[in-house]
Amino acid sequence: MFRYTVKRLIQGVITVWFIATATFIAMHSVPGDPLSGERLTNEEIRANLEARYGLDRPLFEQYLIYMGNMTRGDFGISFTQQNRRVNDIIREHFPVSATLGILAVVFAALGGILWGALTALFRNRLPDVVIMFLVILGISVPSFVVAGLSQLGLTSLNALFGVSILPVAGWGTLLHMIVPSLVLGLGTMAFLTRLMRSSMLEIINADFVRTARSKGLPPTRIFLKHQLRNAILPVITVLGPAIAAITTGGFVVELVFAIPGLGRYFVQAVQQLDYTVIMGTTVFYGAFLVFMVILVDLVYGFIDPRVRLE
Amino acid sequence: MSERTVRDGGAPLPGNPRGDASPDRRDGGDSDIAPQRHDEPALLAVDDLHVEFDTYGGVVKAVRGVSFSVRPGKTLAIVGESGCGKSVTVQSIMGLIPMPPGRITSGTAMLDGIDVIHQKVVEGEDIRGSRIGMIFQDPMSSMNPTMTVGDQIAETLEVHRGYTRSQAYARAVELLGMTHIPEPAERAKQYPFVFSGGMLQRAIIAMAIACEPDILIADEPTTALDVTIQAQILDLLDELQATTGMAIILITHNLGVVARLADDVAVMYAGQIVEKGSSEELFHQCAHPYTLGLRAAMPGNDPHREQGLQAIEGTPPDMFDPPRGCSYFARCPHAMRLCEDRLPERFEVSPHHYASCWLQHPASPVEVPGLYRGEGEAA
Ligand SMILES: Nc1ncnc2c1ncn2[C@@H]1O[C@H](COP(=O)(O)OP(=O)(O)O)[C@@H](O)[C@H]1O
Ligand code: SF4
Ligand SMILES: [Mg+2]
Repeated sequence: MFRYTVKRLIQGVITVWFIATATFIAMHSVPGDPLSGERLTNEEIRANLEARYGLDRPLFEQYLIYMGNMTRGDFGISFTQQNRRVNDIIREHFPVSATLGILAVVFAALGGILWGALTALFRNRLPDVVIMFLVILGISVPSFVVAGLSQLGLTSLNALFGVSILPVAGWGTLLHMIVPSLVLGLGTMAFLTRLMRSSMLEIINADFVRTARSKGLPPTRIFLKHQLRNAILPVITVLGPAIAAITTGGFVVELVFAIPGLGRYFVQAVQQLDYTVIMGTTVFYGAFLVFMVILVDLVYGFIDPRVRLE
Repeated sequence: MSERTVRDGGAPLPGNPRGDASPDRRDGGDSDIAPQRHDEPALLAVDDLHVEFDTYGGVVKAVRGVSFSVRPGKTLAIVGESGCGKSVTVQSIMGLIPMPPGRITSGTAMLDGIDVIHQKVVEGEDIRGSRIGMIFQDPMSSMNPTMTVGDQIAETLEVHRGYTRSQAYARAVELLGMTHIPEPAERAKQYPFVFSGGMLQRAIIAMAIACEPDILIADEPTTALDVTIQAQILDLLDELQATTGMAIILITHNLGVVARLADDVAVMYAGQIVEKGSSEELFHQCAHPYTLGLRAAMPGNDPHREQGLQAIEGTPPDMFDPPRGCSYFARCPHAMRLCEDRLPERFEVSPHHYASCWLQHPASPVEVPGLYRGEGEAA
């Protein structure tokens, strides 16, 4: 298990390096640079600025310098926001995105497992039919539509009661977090519900469940320890990609709900070709996701003893 | 736990002597059966069990009026070709029939005055796992892959006996030892997937007898195992029966297994029991052509017979629309005209030995070599 963990971590580092390099190359292949947007009065100023940011050096040298700084944990200074270090931007805004994302993942996973198990137990009966209809909606309607509609709903709700029950946008309190994280997790939850349902259906009459019944165990124990625990395994394997999907989906939801997360900076930076911010946010997100996927795999190994041996 | 001690028969597992002084049934020769052995009250009496399944093709009548009884401390073998309803019969008793599509349309199974088909919980305790244990055909898929073997055995004791986790686990290790699993303490910590099939079947047996049940139902317990392992598992069942005094319902399609272990035999065909009686009678005075056919298909049993095995030709009838008359009619080499239209009555061939076949009727003109004819009394 220890060797497996170390191996996965090394693979993770290589993945992150690859992400950084690919981003660096892609970014520099786009026409223009961070200074193109500035109204530079003459070539001299431009040359000065280029020298200051090191943009006059050969590309490979820039790459080496950048990678060197990055391994020391220094993502540099933003080109477009005066005197703002990329590290500070991440430190200030990532916790917001992470909170939103984690809430959404928890909501998607718990909801998916719960609804999936429920629909399997009530197979082809009313709860199953209703939930599976909603699941199809959840999978096919994009999150920015759901986000807009939910805001509309919140406005009407608040208007109806004459007080603000749930805030329509913004960030700060737990109340602000509920609706955006629900919206963000919805698609993934629908997807996980479907996965959990089919996995549960496979297990509901498995031989070992029959054995558990023949032992006279109470139904709740059979459900929790024998059915759920095994049916959950496929859900856990897709949790890594699901986290990635939710995190990237977060950019849109942050914009719609005016949430001061990292997503907004990322989009802005790409538009303005703010090299350091693009690199910093991409590499940071990449590393975060790679780490989460490894974590999910390790948790999987903990729950399913069969993979622990590898 | 206290409930168990109130009920009798809850003596600790090891060293509990056999309840009766009957001679070892495998010492051969001794074919005369003392009548009182049969007349002791049945431990479990199944009466007129009917089970159906709804399928896309229609209603499958899987079990049609099955009755049998199990004597305390004895082994009843249920024999028959695959698909004849053996598993459905015992799963009905254990409440393991998936409903839907299954349906138990009638029948009772009385255990100590309680119909366990309709009542699984007695005085707050499920009779499954406590009074009746069960083991299955494929050990590899019969255990939860995400729980250690020790925990799965302990679980039964926690639920039925109210043991604490550590008490139950300690007992689980003892039980693994009783089923001759080497290094039981180590094995208890392992997950099922590291066990071999034979070892896992031993562990499952340990699990099924954890609460010292009165009856162990074994549904083809050796079919999925290597031949060499099969004999060991059968020996283990025999040994555990001797030490615990439990009754066994052994399902098999192998008459060799029956000859080894069974005291009583019920032969099933197409959802019905066509012949039942003591093991000796079924082998030496068999009274139904189907039983005769099974015996002829059994390797190396009959010393008088020439070598080659004679498999029974044809296939069992369609269970969607079972025949009006004898279900064996289409395959029976001795069938008469009457057999096609009229369901054979049940004849008492000798005390406690029954066969459902018109050949047993006193007016039947046919003489079949090797087939025992009783007095022809309808029962
Ligand atoms: N879940 C089910 N759905 C439909 N038919 C079933 C089901 N279980 C058993 N049967 C039918 O019941 C009959 C008896 O099956 P079974 O008791 O398993 O036979 P066996 O004697 O081999 O154990 C078979 O014809 C089978 O098709
Ligand atoms: S009743 Fe007739 S068909 Fe059926 S087994 Fe007896 S002889 Fe054969
Ligand atoms: Mg079977």
